[in-house]
Amino acid sequence: MTNRIKELRVKFGMTQEELAKKVNVRRETIVFLEKNKYNPSLRLAFDLAKTLEISVEDLFSFDDEK
Amino acid sequence: MKRIILMAAVILMVAATLYLWFSNSGFANGEGLYLGIIVLVLVFAVFLLVRRIKSWKAGEPQEDELTKKVMVRTAALSYYISLYLWVFLLYMQDRVTFDKDRLIGIGIVGMAIIFALSWVFNHFRGVSND
Repeated sequence: MTNRIKELRVKFGMTQEELAKKVNVRRETIVFLEKNKYNPSLRLAFDLAKTLEISVEDLFSFDDEK
Repeated sequence: MKRIILMAAVILMVAATLYLWFSNSGFANGEGLYLGIIVLVLVFAVFLLVRRIKSWKAGEPQEDELTKKVMVRTAALSYYISLYLWVFLLYMQDRVTFDKDRLIGIGIVGMAIIFALSWVFNHFRGVSND
């Protein structure tokens, strides 16, 4: 699973701390998400999509090869 | 905040117990190693406490879904490895002269070390898929 969180966060001029506060998680969680080392819960995925003004489908993409 | 206070209280109690233990009876043979290991576990607990205080000061949640998942995986992994530790200790008990207090002490300290190492492993590896 890959995502566009970093790209969109930078586009909105947000720091990792700011995004973390908006979706009510620790900054570390954003770091892991951006490195694709963590797949978020559905709730967090929707919160991120809403904050970054994009649909969940466009924010996350699933690589079927694995 | 409650958890920070609780954690700080536990750390202080363990530190006080250690101080009383070693200041009253001094070091017996081999106890320096125990002290070192317990101090390492205490340092790990202080590290977790500092992380929580930093999060609390920054206005972040002290726990979120990732930290909870890391903790669940840590608990599962450390339980699994600890079973092997106890099997190993029981195996050794039949072959090396151990008194029971020492055996239980090594087991408990070993479990604490395994928990700390499991946490470090899961924390830095991340929770890639669930």
